Amino acid sequence: MDILVCIKKVPDTADAEVILRSDGKGIEEEDLAFGINEWDNYAVEEAIRLKEKEGGKVAVVTIGTGDDEDILRRCLAMGADDAYRIDSSPFYMDDPYSVAKGLSAFAKKHSFDLIMTGVMAGDMSYAMTGPLTAGMLGIPHTTLVTSIDVKDGNISVTRELEGGLEESVRLELPALLTIQTGINEPRYVSIMGIRKVRSKEIPVLRAEELGLSAEEIGEQGAVLELESLERPPEGKEAEMISGSPDEIAEKILEIVKGVV
Amino acid sequence: MASVYVIAEHRKGELGDVTLENIALAKELGEKYGLAPKAIVLASSARAFAEELADYIPEVLTIEDPSLENFLYEDYAAFLRPAVDMFGPGSIVLCPHTAFGMELMPRLSAETSLPCITDVTELELDGTRLRAKRSIYNGKIVSSVSVDASKGALVTVRTGVYQAPDKLSARGTIEGLGVSAEPVRKKTEFIGYREAPAGEVDITQASFLLSIGRGIKDEENIPRAARLAEKMHAVLSCSRPVVDKKWLGKERQVGTSGRTVKPKVYLAMGISGAFQHIAGVKGAGVFIAVNRDPKAPIFRVADYGVVEDMFKLMDALEEKIGGER
Ligand SMILES: Cc1cc2nc3c(=O)[nH]c(=O)nc-3n(C[C@H](O)[C@H](O)[C@H](O)COP(=O)(O)OP(=O)(O)OC[C@H]3O[C@@H](n4cnc5c(N)ncnc54)[C@H](O)[C@@H]3O)c2cc1C
Repeated sequence: MDILVCIKKVPDTADAEVILRSDGKGIEEEDLAFGINEWDNYAVEEAIRLKEKEGGKVAVVTIGTGDDEDILRRCLAMGADDAYRIDSSPFYMDDPYSVAKGLSAFAKKHSFDLIMTGVMAGDMSYAMTGPLTAGMLGIPHTTLVTSIDVKDGNISVTRELEGGLEESVRLELPALLTIQTGINEPRYVSIMGIRKVRSKEIPVLRAEELGLSAEEIGEQGAVLELESLERPPEGKEAEMISGSPDEIAEKILEIVKGVV
Repeated sequence: MASVYVIAEHRKGELGDVTLENIALAKELGEKYGLAPKAIVLASSARAFAEELADYIPEVLTIEDPSLENFLYEDYAAFLRPAVDMFGPGSIVLCPHTAFGMELMPRLSAETSLPCITDVTELELDGTRLRAKRSIYNGKIVSSVSVDASKGALVTVRTGVYQAPDKLSARGTIEGLGVSAEPVRKKTEFIGYREAPAGEVDITQASFLLSIGRGIKDEENIPRAARLAEKMHAVLSCSRPVVDKKWLGKERQVGTSGRTVKPKVYLAMGISGAFQHIAGVKGAGVFIAVNRDPKAPIFRVADYGVVEDMFKLMDALEEKIGGER
């Protein structure tokens, strides 16, 4: 079972200040910590577990710059066999269609039994890359996967619905799955582990080698255009309770007493 | 005339409330841009759903086929590919951004020439350009994106943004769409549903929830939160990452993929306020949020906010309560 996992590097913005760039088309990245997209990390772990059970190989790929190779190396340390980088420079990376064109062109050059992506990326949260890529490849997909079971050329998965409900779906291989958080407990990657894969070569592919022209994947070929970014509008704001932790605790207990 | 279509979401014989939210948006767009709002029901037996929707939207179209009993994108797409060709240029198709819409719409986009925008909170038509607002970077930034909608466009709409509309004074019409499925060799198969196990507590019945998020940081800190909850006579609940890490059971998760709660007090600590979480807190009496980040989106939905380290506050609360409660 040969598996491809498509991954992306994203900034951690939940716990950090996010500053708009002056051109209004992006955010200031200097002070943010970047890492592998949370959903993708679960996907890589799941792929490696499947390989350990079923045999085969795991490859990881990202469309990115040299700076993004650290997440590829991290996956190699986790147990992926191969890592590829598709040079992002000709891509209009704000368009999920451009990204999916790159990934599907790459997948076509190989013969993977299974392709995985995260359900979504934590930065833009489109949740499109997986199903778009599957659609371009003409292979079946399912999203929000919470468990996987392989049997005789088919794959049975559970996918998450709302309110704790799940459904089971069977797919013919090759197929694409988008992986939901919590499907497993991703293994820890040690600095030693990363050191071990330090010298492993990461092939860099150019768009032309994948048969993609700049017109298709560049801004002029974009299906979805990112026009501008702004701060969320001022809406209803919470009434802020300030003071020392002691004073705040007292106020909270008062509020609670009044209601419960 | 171009139209704005809402694809009804239903599961196990029930229509999702989210379909009514989409109808509200469809009607708003209809009025603004002169588009006819219509609902489409794909089902093995569509009548009952159509009757329900006709109370809210002037035109309901049905596609009935035994293959449409349980949702699989393959079966839906087999009907929707030819259907969108009939919709005419400039038509917009809406779906909720749920397990249903997320599975269907990007795929349908790849299989037709229609562009798709997902998880939108607002829509605007500017000539043939369809522009959407989306919440990104953990709710800290709003982006404007656009697609060329001259041939039509597909959209998934964030749940909980629009309110179900009032009923119409005159009920809408119901009609078969008259489209047949494109032949497909099926590669996916629906097997069945799996209900979540009940678990050790029922947070939906709690009147006071102390809810912890990723800010709890470490499994070691869970007992501390549990102890505080007990002292406060609160039930401990949490956001998804805490469950993903297996620090608490799934039955304690608040949100779209967890439970929907309606406590008298919801005290959230170290939770950022993602819409999938907030959608699970319906009509809390008093919503108090503690977060060390003053820009956390949770402060836009809470009644009271505290910008403070949650551990300092937990200590202070525990000390204040002491043995008294
Ligand atoms: C299909 C789907 C379904 C989902 N369903 C759900 C669901 O049902 N429920 C759910 O919760 N999520 C759900 N999610 C995930 C959701 O999108 C968010 O990722 C999640 O809610 C984030 O949880 P959080 O707020 O605890 O973590 P984060 O977003 O990481 O936020 C942590 C917050 O803690 C604050 N913090 C950190 N340390 C401290 C400290 N010491 N003191 C005070 N504050 C601190 C930070 O400032 C930050 O605001 C779903 C996602 C998808 C794609």
